[in-house]
This record gives sequence, structure tokens and C-alpha cells, in this order.
Amino acid sequence: MTDSQLFSTAHQDDTEQSDPQPATYYHLTRAVLLREFLLFIRYPANAVGGIVVALFFFIVLFYGGQLLAGRALADSIEGIVVGYFLWTLSSGAYASISNDIGSEVQWGTLERHVTTPFGFAPVALLKGVAKLVRTFLTSAVILVGMLLVTGTKLAFPPVTVIVVAGASVASVLGLGFAAGGITVLYKRVGTWLGLLQFGFVILVSAPVFSIPWLRALPLAHGSALLQRVMVDGTRLWEFSITEISLLFAIAVVYLLGGYVVFHYATRRARRLGVLGDY
Amino acid sequence: MGRSAVTSLEAMTKRNQDDNSPALVVDSVGKQFGSGDSAVTAVDDVSFSVERGSIVGLLGPNGAGKTTLIKSILGTVLPDTGAIRVLGTDVKNERRAAYANVDAMLEGARNDYWRLTVQENLRYFATISGINPDSVATRHARLLERLDLTTWADTPVRDLSRGMKQKVSLASVLAGGAELLFLDEPTLGLDVEGSRTLRSELRRLAIEDGLTVILSSHDMAVIEDVCDRVIVMADGGIVADSDVETLVETVGGDRLQIKSNDLTPRIVSRLRERITKTALKATIDSDSDPHIEVEISEVSLYRLFNILEGADVEIEQIQTIEVGLEEALIELTSTQSQADTRTQAGSVDESHTKVGDPSVNKNQQEAKSPGGTEISTDSIQRSNHSESDMGRSREHDI
Repeated sequence: MTDSQLFSTAHQDDTEQSDPQPATYYHLTRAVLLREFLLFIRYPANAVGGIVVALFFFIVLFYGGQLLAGRALADSIEGIVVGYFLWTLSSGAYASISNDIGSEVQWGTLERHVTTPFGFAPVALLKGVAKLVRTFLTSAVILVGMLLVTGTKLAFPPVTVIVVAGASVASVLGLGFAAGGITVLYKRVGTWLGLLQFGFVILVSAPVFSIPWLRALPLAHGSALLQRVMVDGTRLWEFSITEISLLFAIAVVYLLGGYVVFHYATRRARRLGVLGDY
Repeated sequence: MGRSAVTSLEAMTKRNQDDNSPALVVDSVGKQFGSGDSAVTAVDDVSFSVERGSIVGLLGPNGAGKTTLIKSILGTVLPDTGAIRVLGTDVKNERRAAYANVDAMLEGARNDYWRLTVQENLRYFATISGINPDSVATRHARLLERLDLTTWADTPVRDLSRGMKQKVSLASVLAGGAELLFLDEPTLGLDVEGSRTLRSELRRLAIEDGLTVILSSHDMAVIEDVCDRVIVMADGGIVADSDVETLVETVGGDRLQIKSNDLTPRIVSRLRERITKTALKATIDSDSDPHIEVEISEVSLYRLFNILEGADVEIEQIQTIEVGLEEALIELTSTQSQADTRTQAGSVDESHTKVGDPSVNKNQQEAKSPGGTEISTDSIQRSNHSESDMGRSREHDI
């Protein structure tokens, strides 16, 4: 195409089309979720690999535990399956949000988001939601696999499970934001922060009945409620208002806290001029 | 072209009312990294403004502060001092509104998502830029056509060559219809045709759509071709600010370089008495072969050679040096660096003594050339040419 062609066709086309319309949060939500969906279906190897590895570790845990603990393990297998389900859900959400922020820094796309009218925060939050949905799907497959391996049956009231597990994992998303923020500031600590997800095992199995204050930690209270939902068949409306309020309060506090850490970390990174450096 | 965004209607209205304001005003911006002895001043009290619809080149050697300045304007680096107004809006007070119509393609960054297709990238970045992608589908199709990317619209970016990826980056920053665009090394990795297409597109966007572009590049051909104006930075400050032609004229026209071991400070002094002082530069030091340089248009070569012959100077080599933007840039920035070295060290390096006219060697802060170019520090003092000069010179061995 010659220069003259470029000049001659352009103006004509400009006059033919209507003015650009503004994007709303609906369009932003659609764009971010579509992007995550496309990556999920276009590159399924990551998801499949995650499922296989998670199931493999569970099988090792289950049969190894049977050899060591025998009957004692069989008595608590339902609790272990629910705990493992919540752990895969939370570690998946945490890793995807913290790794995603690290990748955005590495690619230089975080800087582009920072200068847009939406900013990076809503994009990161929507990505978190998308990754939560994605992790729910993969964790559900893992759950089915665990139930088949152990021959266990669990209650699965969808709304109650999604609300309780979702609120529990929201607190972990906050931790993911905080870890992502720290990665923006100190690039090399990303790998170490990844190890934090193994600490979630402790939170999922925290003895909240004997040590009540542990409920204030992320995942702990939610894990206890999820055990009741899936093992005892308790429905959402059967929980006390205090239990539900605490579940959402913990989710909001950690999510907001994580976002505040992320916000100040990126601000400090801008001050130090290291936002896009990797 | 304008981008409506999610910023408040009030801010948008205010900006639209202020459409006659410059596209960019940078006022006394400074940025220092580190503290104490290890502190580095990356941007030092920089001020300038850019009119809407113009293409401005931001030049300077590595470490001059260009990228830090661009990032300070974009807000990805927070400046320590100064104020910045983008399209009439203060970036500190109304950050979101200010950047609603700004986009950037930064060097060394992917700028887009390689696992998405070209088309998907355009739609995604248009959206986060505040534009409903469905409303600009035709524009995106035309953009892909102009950048020769139509064939690759549904190809993931990761499968494209480096040059094509660079084009996709450009397309994605243009996808949202920004009014002010920052391009850092946009022609990196592009072939000749790609570079030509990019220049055409930039010119078209500036002329037809009133797009303002701040362009940082080491590709002087691109700068000379598309820029209305050039800002030269060195050591964190602006050392020159004018159009390309004036800038080149300011540092002088083509030169003749004469090398001879017979050249001495005494002979140079004799030359200065007989020819235009400012047209002569001499380098008689231990680091390089003794040589003089004269501006061809300012000196009678007949007289010059007569003087040299009379002084029994046996000429070993003559070469003409064509002065273009590259030479002007080297001259301006090396002069600045030398001035800084002198300021910091308090004296000139003894092993690198230049012989020149004392009146010309004086520091001349904020001197203004007849052509209107603003040049700070002692840019009138001539300096050594780097090796790249040789690439544009013609040698004549005697």
C-alpha cells in the first residue's frame, strides 16, 4: 500500500463511521472474563496438568495414610476430602492471582493498565473472579476424582457450597493481591511467596472449635463451615447470622487489606521507578 | 478522535472545554533515584510543552533520562518535583481523567498479550482504554489493513515475528483512539517497509485526527522523517529544543577534517588569527591524532591551505564530515556530558586538552541561536566526534 492510498482512503472511512462509544464496567467485565475464558480453552494443558498433579498427591496421601493410619483415616476421610477440595480451590486462586500480577509486571502490561481510565485494580479484581470460577471448575473435577478414589459420598448443595467456599477463598484472593503487590516491589520474592499456599493446609485444618480466635484467620472459619455443609448437609440458611456475618467479614477484611497492600506497593514501586522493571 | 471513558462526566466535560490547551505541559519536573552519595538524578528540572497534533522527537543517549521522563509523564514513575498537565488536565489531581486519552508503547515491554490473537488484543486494549470495542470494529479493521496485519488478525501474537509483534503493539495502542501517544523505539525490529508504513500512519494520524505523538527513538531517519520538533536530553536535562533543520544548522554545516602530526597549538593559534574563529575546532592531545575541523561554508579553503603550507604542515588525511541530526545529537549531548564532567571535577582533564578560542569556551547558559533553537550550557564549544561520525564521512588519504 502506498502513502497516497493511506491518505486517500482514511479520511473517507472516518466520515463513514459513527463515533466511538464509551466502555462501561459491563464492557470491562466482558473483556476480562472473555480473555480468561479464551486462555482457559485455548491452553488447557495448564488446567489439566493442575488437576492431574492435585489428584496424584491426593491418591498418595489417601493410600499412604491408609497404610499408616488404617481405620482411623477411614473415619475422617470425608473431612480430608472437603479440606483437600478447599485447599486446591484456595491455592489455585492464590497462585493464579499472585502469578498473574507478576506476569503482568514482566510483560509490561501492568504499566499499560495503570495509565488507563479504569486502572489496574478493577481489572485485577475481575481477573481474580475469573480465576476463582476457573479454579471452581478444576477443583470440582478434582473433587469428583477424590470421591471416586475414596468411595465417599458428600452433600453438595450448589448455592451453599459456592457461597461458603467462595467467601472463604475471597480472603485468599486478598492474600494473592498482597503477594502480587510485594512481587511488584521486590521482583525476586515471587517464588518464595508461592510457598505460602502450602501454609493454607494449616489454615484449612485449623482447630477453630478449641481455639476460637483462629476463626479470624483466612480460610479457617470458612473451612469449618464448609465441612458442615458437605459432611453434615447443613444449608446456608441453617447457619447462625453470626457465623455468616463472620464469614463475609473475614472475606471483606482480607480482600480489602490485600488490595490496600497492593495499592501501596505499586505506589511505592512508582516512587522507586521499578513498576515495569523486571 | 476522542475516547469517552469511565472517568467522571464532569472531568470529561472540563477537558473538552479546554481543547485549546497544549497536549502536554511539563513544568519543572525532576526525579532522583536513591539517596545520599548513591543518588542519581534521572530527570533534572525539565520543562516544555507540546501543541496538539504535533509529533515531537525525544532524543538523547542511553541514560539521558528519556524513559524516566516519559514514565513520569505517564505516571508509572512518580516525579519528585514539578507538575504535568495532559490534554489540559493535571495528572496529580485528576489522574484518571488525565490519562483517559493517553496511551503508550514502551520499549522492552510486550505491550500486549501474546497468547491472544491480534484482533482480540485490539478489542481488549480498546476496552480498558475506555472504548466499547464493538463501536470501533470498522476502525480496527482499517487499522489492521493499514499496518498490513489483516492476514494475521486471528493469529495469536506469540506466533508472529518480532517485527509483526511490534506492529501489533502499535495497533493495540492505537486501538483505543488515544489523543496523546508515547512511542518508545516504535521501529525496533521493523523492516524497511514496516518502518515506512509506521511513519505514514503516524503522519496521517497527526494530520487527519490531530493525534499528538511523543516519539523516542535511536532511528534518526524516523525522527527526521516524521517529527515537527526535536527535544534533546542529556544527563537528565534538555540541551536543545527545536525543529530538525534548525537543530542541525545550529551545530554548523558540513566540515572538513584535516589530520597531521605537524599540527601544534602554535599553528592553530595562527589559523585562528586568519580565519573565522568559530568555524575552527582543533584537537591536539595525546589520545588521538592531531587534527583540525573547519566548517566548509565559513572558511576560505584556499586561504586555509595556504596557511598550512606556509607553516610546513604535511597533511596526512582529509575527510569531509556531513552534519546531520545524528551528528548534531552527538555534538549536543557530548558537550553536555563534558560540561557536567568539568562541573563535577572542577577542572578539565589534563590529558585531553583542547585548543580553542577562549571566548567560545565560556559556559553559555541558555544560549539562543539565530535560528531560534534553545540550547543550554556551552554547546557552542566544539567537541570530539565519536566513531559514528566516520560512518557519514568521506575520507581522502593523501
